[in-house]
Amino acid sequence: MEESGKINIVFKCDREEIPVIVNLCLDHIRKKTHIMPVDLVTLAKLKWVITELLTNAVKHSGMDECTMTFEQDMEQLVLEKEDSGKPLMLFENNSSKVITWPLQDLSEPLEFQIYHNGMDSLKVRSTEPDKAVFFVEQLDDVEMPGLLIDTSEHFGLLILTKASNEFTYTYDPVLKKNRFRSTIYLKNTEYEA
Amino acid sequence: MVLQVNDLSNVVQATILPEEASLANADMFKEEMITLIAGGAKLIILSFENVNYIDSSFLGSLVVALKYAMPRKVDIYLVALKPDVKNLLTLIRMDKVFKIFKDYKQAMETIN
Repeated sequence: MEESGKINIVFKCDREEIPVIVNLCLDHIRKKTHIMPVDLVTLAKLKWVITELLTNAVKHSGMDECTMTFEQDMEQLVLEKEDSGKPLMLFENNSSKVITWPLQDLSEPLEFQIYHNGMDSLKVRSTEPDKAVFFVEQLDDVEMPGLLIDTSEHFGLLILTKASNEFTYTYDPVLKKNRFRSTIYLKNTEYEA
Repeated sequence: MVLQVNDLSNVVQATILPEEASLANADMFKEEMITLIAGGAKLIILSFENVNYIDSSFLGSLVVALKYAMPRKVDIYLVALKPDVKNLLTLIRMDKVFKIFKDYKQAMETIN
């Protein structure tokens, strides 16, 4: 469905449907950007991000459906997954403490490591109770076999964060909606004739 | 069945059959890999020649398989990765964890 430059696609949270929905999303994006074609590197990132957002919905939302939204301008492409499921819950890597959004007590900014895969430390930062910003910090180089011991088996949030230029989570307390938002900057800055 | 297996004594050549290596087949892949490792293979050469796309769930199963394999002195090589698959592995630095080769032939040359 398309409304005022936005594309909305409803996903029934069925894992078997993920490839179909990914291709549907990419087809919409290709049509939408036909006058300013998205390069192959960006298309690959879009495919990774869409797949991981849908996989996240199947694994963690606990809901029967979610909505994917795409919005594009000359500078960037924004992908958003919205659902009414359980709010974001993360384990703080060092203490195994469970952190749930919206944050109840945020007297100072919250920042912690979610997990690390060798040299990539996936972190989250919150300066507002309803919002989390994901980012990656580089750690010292580790060689095998120590690198394998240091490597988590979880990659979803890491892929989303590394494939996006910005990746955030927002909880809407009024509508009780979760929104994961990936922003990908577009390299092409000129429209083709 | 996710893997088509060719057992050459201690070396197992295993080809991933689905085009999408994803949440839908990640658990079965993990079980089949663990069966191969427990079955006495010393090296598993895993071909991605059919795989157009890999997701986080399948990557997680791949890492679980390697974590199961390493203490048992079993190695896992990856071969025939298409650009999108290779680029994703590079993005999350799994190219530092797994030994990656162009094809079965190149992988086999390292052990001869």
